[in-house]
Amino acid sequence: MLFALLLAPALASAVLALVVRPYRAAVGAVNAALSLVAVGAALGLGREVLAGRVPVAGPDDVLRADALSALLAFCVSVVGALAAWLGPGLGDDGWDAGQARRFRIFANLFAATMLFAVTTDNVGFMWVAIEATTITSALLIPLHASKASVEASWKYVLIGSVGIALAFAGTVLAYFDFATLVGRDTAALSWTLLRDVAPALNPRVLDLAFVFILIGYGTKAGLAPMHTWLPDAHSEAPPALSAMMSGVLLAVALYAIVRWQAVVRAAVGPGFADEVIGLLGLLSLAIGSLSLVTQRNYKRLLAYSSIEHTGLICVGLGLGPLGVFAAMLHLLNHSVAKSMMFLLAGRVLRRYQTAEIEGVAGLLRVMPWTGGFFAAGMLAVLGLPPFGMFVSEFALVRAGFAAGRPLTIVLVLALLAVGFVGVLGHLNRMLYGRPPGGVPVGEGGRWALLPLGACLVALVVLGLAVPAPVERLLLGIAEIITP
Amino acid sequence: MDSLFAQLVVLESSLALIFGLVLLWRRGVPAYIHAFTWQSLVLAAVAATVGWFGRHRELYVVAALLIAVKGLAIPRLLARMERRFASERELAPYVNTATSLVVAGLLVLFGAAVMRPVVMASELPTRTAMPLAMGLVLVSLFVVVSRKKALTQVIGFLMLENGIALLALLGAYGIPLIVELGVFLDALMGFLVMQIFVYRIHATFETLDVDQLDRLRH
Repeated sequence: MLFALLLAPALASAVLALVVRPYRAAVGAVNAALSLVAVGAALGLGREVLAGRVPVAGPDDVLRADALSALLAFCVSVVGALAAWLGPGLGDDGWDAGQARRFRIFANLFAATMLFAVTTDNVGFMWVAIEATTITSALLIPLHASKASVEASWKYVLIGSVGIALAFAGTVLAYFDFATLVGRDTAALSWTLLRDVAPALNPRVLDLAFVFILIGYGTKAGLAPMHTWLPDAHSEAPPALSAMMSGVLLAVALYAIVRWQAVVRAAVGPGFADEVIGLLGLLSLAIGSLSLVTQRNYKRLLAYSSIEHTGLICVGLGLGPLGVFAAMLHLLNHSVAKSMMFLLAGRVLRRYQTAEIEGVAGLLRVMPWTGGFFAAGMLAVLGLPPFGMFVSEFALVRAGFAAGRPLTIVLVLALLAVGFVGVLGHLNRMLYGRPPGGVPVGEGGRWALLPLGACLVALVVLGLAVPAPVERLLLGIAEIITP
Repeated sequence: MDSLFAQLVVLESSLALIFGLVLLWRRGVPAYIHAFTWQSLVLAAVAATVGWFGRHRELYVVAALLIAVKGLAIPRLLARMERRFASERELAPYVNTATSLVVAGLLVLFGAAVMRPVVMASELPTRTAMPLAMGLVLVSLFVVVSRKKALTQVIGFLMLENGIALLALLGAYGIPLIVELGVFLDALMGFLVMQIFVYRIHATFETLDVDQLDRLRH
């Protein structure tokens, strides 16, 4: 039942947008209302999990939610709701009816595929769903047809599809051994079963499979050196889609990696999987941080910051139970912070009509609320207290020392400092100074500030003290991956 | 019986790999489309062979799907695109033909090395052909990164999918049918989306040369 409530709203909204022609604002309103049902269902799953149950549904228990699924389902449904409320097609936002209709169809399918990916127990279906995320989201990137957006979406489709194909090769390789162990039927791709029999699997085959899986899903997660599509796609997509791609699509790809990490750890021990994840994480962190300094476009700035944070999450995943705890907390913080930032950037872009940092000045005077939120959000993304990312980064540092990796931590902190200094300079230029001529002063579309403010409040709450249910959920996840 | 089975799949897999190599030494897109079509038919033959000798009836369904989707439907759509963009030939790839073939040879060797632990762990009669499948995967990957035309990249990607499907057939007699259906659906939808973008690239850039796609740098 909970699964139906989680998946049906997005599917129903997509169908509704498909059949109602021409597009009407009522479709967007229904979509926005339904998106809250999904959030409720995700919370319900979380409650079940915290009560010590593992909800399952469908033939062969194909849908299954443990702590990890519950966290991701929550992130996806919340960001999906943000996109439904603030995306094209509600209120006067400069998009025409055709664009709004297309957005409502594909964004909802996109959300549904992500929700299915994180709640299915079958690693084959998980792959099918993640591949489908590329298909459903790619068509939305050039919502405003321009050379840059067509170029961005081509890179995204091609690199994303090739990457995900490699992840499939990895899944198939892991399945070889597995099929001989448990027989060849649909349940034979069940993650639960896979992890249970993992100790009997051939370690060398599984290591090889994991390399393919990490490169494959890592491409979708924006891990360096397979990240080249990400800054283009995230900066050219319409704001609500950028929010979904940056806020949760990266997290869903990381989720797939983590599922396999758990299997490989159970089969061959922590050594290999943790090492390679940590290494790719460090590389992504380095590329993300260093690129932040030279950016001239604020949407690309946010995109590179996503690469930085994905890297940080992977560093955490390689540091044992404490690291996994920190990484998952960071993933939650990043989902909230980055989707808020991309939506705010969309407001800035609409007002200033440019994505160049140089073209934006006096943001605090032109749009006091948006500017204030943007500044606070940016400080949150940089990991300053009292925001959530400060806590998760601090936890990561502690995990690093506990795991006996002081060098890694020193490197991480140095890279974060570089990004910090770079971004502060850019932020300063945008907030203050004299606004360029012709930019009207004053907030527009005030009600949209409400959900964005709620994100900011959530970040502060996560920064002051991790709420007890969240902490228990994260401990549950650490237990799953690093038993 | 097993040796006949093994010989057949090795023969078919070699053919699939050779059709993959065509992309590296021919220049015209029609030749690529033919190569892809034949490769898909050979793949269907592998599915049928494994279905017959391995006694997996459902693989006949997979073979039929392969013929319908990758042997007929996709080649038709490719040919239509080719007619539309007849002037777009792969004249100057990033890597020239001679070097490409050397690299491909090395990749096939590398694929064999990578697959050694898998081949040793497997007890199936099809195991000897597995390195060829990995070779096809790696060669297709190389095609995608070393060619400039969007259409060639799409065909390279389709061959990559064929390589992985071959790997699945040889290593585990295919994946469960229901998952396979999902994979087919994704492959078809993915191709259609790519097709939309190829048309769009041509409409906005007036060429299929992805070298021209350089607005987004740094």
